[in-house]
Amino acid sequence: MAATAPAVTEPIVEMENISIEFPGVKALQNVNFRLFPGEVHTLMGENGAGKSTLIKALTGVYKIDSGTITVGGLSRRFAGTADAQSAGISTVYQEVNLCDNLTVGENVMLGHEVRGPIGINWRKTHEAAHEALIRLGLGDLDPRQPLSSISLALQQLVAISRAMVTDSTVLILDEPTSSLDANEVEGLFTVIRRLRDEGVAILFVSHFLDQVYAISDRLTVLRNGVVVGEHQTAALPRNQLISEMIGKDVDTLNSLGSQRSRAVHSGGAPYYSAKDLTRKGSIEPVDIEVHAGEVVGLAGLLGSGRTELGRLIYGADKPDAGIVTIDGKTTEVTSPVGALARKIAFSTENRRDEGIVGDLTVRENLVLAVQARRGWARPLSRREQAAICDKYLVELNVRPADPERAVRDLSGGNQQKVLLGRWLATQPELLILDEPTRGIDVGAKAEIQETIVALADDGMSVIFISSELEEVVRLSERIIVLKDRRKIGEIVNGPDVTAEAIVDLIASEGSGA
Amino acid sequence: MSTPVARPSAAIRVITGLFHQPYVWAIVALLLLLVVNLTKNPAYLGVSVNAATGNLSGNVIDILRASAPIMMIAVGMTLVIATRGIDLSVGSVMAVAGAVSMEFMRNTGTGSFGTAVVAVLLALGISALLGTLNGILVSIVGLQPFITTLVMMLAGRGLAKVITSGQNTSATNETFRWIANGTFLGFPVVFVIAVLIVAVLAALVRRTALGLMIESIGINPKAARMAGIRPVGILISVYIVSAVLAGVAGIFSTASVMTVEVAKTGMTAEMDAILAVVIGGTSLAGGKFSLTGSIIGALLIATLDKTIVYMSIPSSATPAFKAVVIVIICLLQSPRVRSMFNRRRTRVIITDKETVPV
Amino acid sequence: MAPTSRFRAFTGLALAGTLALSLVACSSGSDEPAASGDDSGELTTVGFVAVGPEGGWRTANEQNIQDAFSTENGFDLKYAPSSNGDQNSQITAFTSFIDEGVDAILLSATEATGWEDVLERAQEAEIPVVLLDRGIEPNDESLYTSRIAPDNVGISASAAEWANEQFPDGANYVVLEGPPGLSVVNDRNKGWDEAVADNLTKLESQSANWSTEEAKSVFETMLKANGNDIQLVFAQNDEMGLGAALAVEEAGLTPGTDVKIITIDGTQAALEALAAGRLSFVAEYNPLFGEDAIEVVNAALAGEDVESSIVVPSTTFDSPEAATAALPDRQY
Repeated sequence: MAATAPAVTEPIVEMENISIEFPGVKALQNVNFRLFPGEVHTLMGENGAGKSTLIKALTGVYKIDSGTITVGGLSRRFAGTADAQSAGISTVYQEVNLCDNLTVGENVMLGHEVRGPIGINWRKTHEAAHEALIRLGLGDLDPRQPLSSISLALQQLVAISRAMVTDSTVLILDEPTSSLDANEVEGLFTVIRRLRDEGVAILFVSHFLDQVYAISDRLTVLRNGVVVGEHQTAALPRNQLISEMIGKDVDTLNSLGSQRSRAVHSGGAPYYSAKDLTRKGSIEPVDIEVHAGEVVGLAGLLGSGRTELGRLIYGADKPDAGIVTIDGKTTEVTSPVGALARKIAFSTENRRDEGIVGDLTVRENLVLAVQARRGWARPLSRREQAAICDKYLVELNVRPADPERAVRDLSGGNQQKVLLGRWLATQPELLILDEPTRGIDVGAKAEIQETIVALADDGMSVIFISSELEEVVRLSERIIVLKDRRKIGEIVNGPDVTAEAIVDLIASEGSGA
Repeated sequence: MSTPVARPSAAIRVITGLFHQPYVWAIVALLLLLVVNLTKNPAYLGVSVNAATGNLSGNVIDILRASAPIMMIAVGMTLVIATRGIDLSVGSVMAVAGAVSMEFMRNTGTGSFGTAVVAVLLALGISALLGTLNGILVSIVGLQPFITTLVMMLAGRGLAKVITSGQNTSATNETFRWIANGTFLGFPVVFVIAVLIVAVLAALVRRTALGLMIESIGINPKAARMAGIRPVGILISVYIVSAVLAGVAGIFSTASVMTVEVAKTGMTAEMDAILAVVIGGTSLAGGKFSLTGSIIGALLIATLDKTIVYMSIPSSATPAFKAVVIVIICLLQSPRVRSMFNRRRTRVIITDKETVPV
Repeated sequence: MAPTSRFRAFTGLALAGTLALSLVACSSGSDEPAASGDDSGELTTVGFVAVGPEGGWRTANEQNIQDAFSTENGFDLKYAPSSNGDQNSQITAFTSFIDEGVDAILLSATEATGWEDVLERAQEAEIPVVLLDRGIEPNDESLYTSRIAPDNVGISASAAEWANEQFPDGANYVVLEGPPGLSVVNDRNKGWDEAVADNLTKLESQSANWSTEEAKSVFETMLKANGNDIQLVFAQNDEMGLGAALAVEEAGLTPGTDVKIITIDGTQAALEALAAGRLSFVAEYNPLFGEDAIEVVNAALAGEDVESSIVVPSTTFDSPEAATAALPDRQY
């Protein structure tokens, strides 16, 4: 642990030998962590590495089993976020915790309203809110407009100004960028730099490497509850960072970095084809073909219709029109039940709302789709269920590999693997994957990508949807490009196809028309 | 946990397993209520053969008999609640079932075994019909369960009044009377029937994939649909089951006195059912459910009702007494309090004594 | 009990709302006849805020009122039964009648308290209100025109006197009450407690909510709690008395011999049970006072003075023979 800290200053937060144990899991083991005033410090690590646990230990959400926490030179143990906040440590979470139905100003000042002789002085409260917004360079934002009327990115910034109203000396940002676009991220970074220059210590958590390198001064890498490195960001090569995070040879990643070099399935009848598949308000008529053993990528920005097309093929939304042919037979798919009967499976991008059934066990989640197809009256036997669990928990490397654990207790990446297992257990001929790698750690991402390639090699047809163009280019043999709920092109993948080429296509299509 | 000498015995494992169940406090409360009754009369739990009637007689028998109708509606309610629904119409369905059977037996009064069978079938048939209506309105039309069954609660009681022309109707039929007042191998017939029905239902739910699907729908309806589960059939089924079980409860209730009291039979029964479900540890938000818990909840409510009379608690104080006991149980079951106890297991015993403030 | 009481309150509100809706529908539908009645002076519009189906006695009483206030007798009676005894629904119905401008209102309150506001509103609107059967508390006679009812205090006193005669050497007895808080329950307790002899020991008093089923369950436990050492039951209505008789039989005892049961009301079912020896004493609570009600309403509308309390005469039945003799003429 070659720690190189900024000279002179004392750390504002110092955590020494922190250990936390949950039933069956050593969440943190003797973790040392230092945060200095005026720095942006990133916590890196896979899902389940202990990033969130460390933050919750600091803010008192979790009780630590051993170790010491020093804040501003005093030994502290907080009783919860409110307690931590009064000591100057504020947290802004991934999901913005604000009140939609209040105004921007009310949200900023909630709990710190300016009081007059008769209750709250709203005029002064909004003025104070305005001051707080100006501090972050958000002077243009009207504190009297309802929060719901501004974008998610601005809401994120409002959440930060709310945190800064209490004159925090430590600001924790837990995955603040996961739902922001590039411009919005830049806006957020401007604010972060401004606060850093004022001397605020900022603890930043993100999955996006580019952002980490763009914003952070130092970083601490965690793996399996242990600190594996504390570095000056500028001095740390990316591949070293990645290997520290996933703790295995980076060759795996490199091998996936090359494009798939497979024969293009131009000849022969496609396994699945749809002509003029459409749904009003969802997507304009689209033609799509997928051959057996082929990965077809859907590329496009958020809202381009990539998810909508996947849902139409699966019958999650009922198509208005379109002629669908599966394995040479013309048919209709109007519901998930119908799709599963025709050996189509769809893994949703909305893992939490439409994917996992949180309170059920891993086993129950794995067998759910197979069981649904059999009907309630023909239950899978214990042995059949165990067989499914054994197969997919091992094949997909789900951790912990305990079939009786509630799926909600698993990390995002492992939940995604369970979902993938649920669909694979139905032995689909056509597998639609919508953002299967989003919001999960690098190691799980590589594993899922490997699995997709292996499935296609075994003859499965795959439709792969992702917002990461590089990923689409790497995995797909053909790429259907969508924009504004229309198909604007179809690209046969080859050595000269790059993510930039697709970006160009999307950009030029707009200006050309 | 196990000592180096010997592994914990099966009994200890069962008991520690019980402590992880949400309904453990209901069991504790149930036992405490029995203890409270024992302080008044050490022979409280005694069961004897009544010389005059030849039946087994005793307070425990009375409790089992009184719990049977509550058990029926509680079990049905559990399944409905598990799907994120609620069935407020069970009390009214009880009245309708009672009204139909009593009216039928009064008008075709041969008093024979056949008459009783037809009366039972008629009662269950009309209950199933009302349940189907509930189910269709909830699943296909998409009305909120609360509103749908609230309307059915009002309409059902109205229907019961129409069937009997607003009168409390009595009838005479020994077979029908036997259902509520007879004994089978010493146990009250109602209790035996209730246990059989619950056993069949539990097997149906847990030995097939029905329970899994009900829970999936309750926990995450969107995900359940995406996984290929058809919610409509399952929803209609649970409302039918709930209504038919309410019909059974209605038969139990009216057979007990061979009278249907249109304004009284099944009155506020839905409250008892919901309470039994909650006491049994099933969340009103739906999802995971426990039939065992609901049965214990039903037993607890019946015991509580009986204890109130047995201990001669003044009638003006009974609602407050009932409320205090139930609030304490619900408090003890809340996740926060439970986690507190798990941390400080040693204090459990002290708090036990505070459970029943008699 | 927070969730339940809130839940009940909500249900109550919903019920009241439903009733209000149906009343609005009724009143708009009946606008025309009411108006023509006023114009020609032919029909007197009377609103009847009733209890609704509750038992044999109530059915007979309300049927009698509806029969008496017929079109032939010059009345247009609007019958508004409560939603399962819910007071809110009664208050809603009452205010609707005031808003409609009926000529008079008949009220059988499900609960004794909480009527001051609406009664004052009726007074302001100069609508005479006649209480039928059930009184209000506090009993402010200035708020209503008259109360017509059998004398609950007197009736239960007569029952107590019969009990004193039957058990000169004393006995253990229990009381099966109606729901706590009703004026009728208070009156029947009062009459009994005042008249009953000291050597009769009250073991306990429990509510069985007027219900046969509940009374059976309650009395079954009372017998067990007291080792069957109960000689007398004072059931405050017939239904509960019949439930107690069933519990006595279930316990292997003989009603009339081991346990004597007194009931109040005098419905046909009770007289049949009395004739069969299952009940021992039935005090009539005469439900038939429609004619008296008409007299009072007419007098009030004519501006004459009306007695503030009119007692309906009732009889008692103390033997199977008396019951058998009365049964053929029993209307309820």
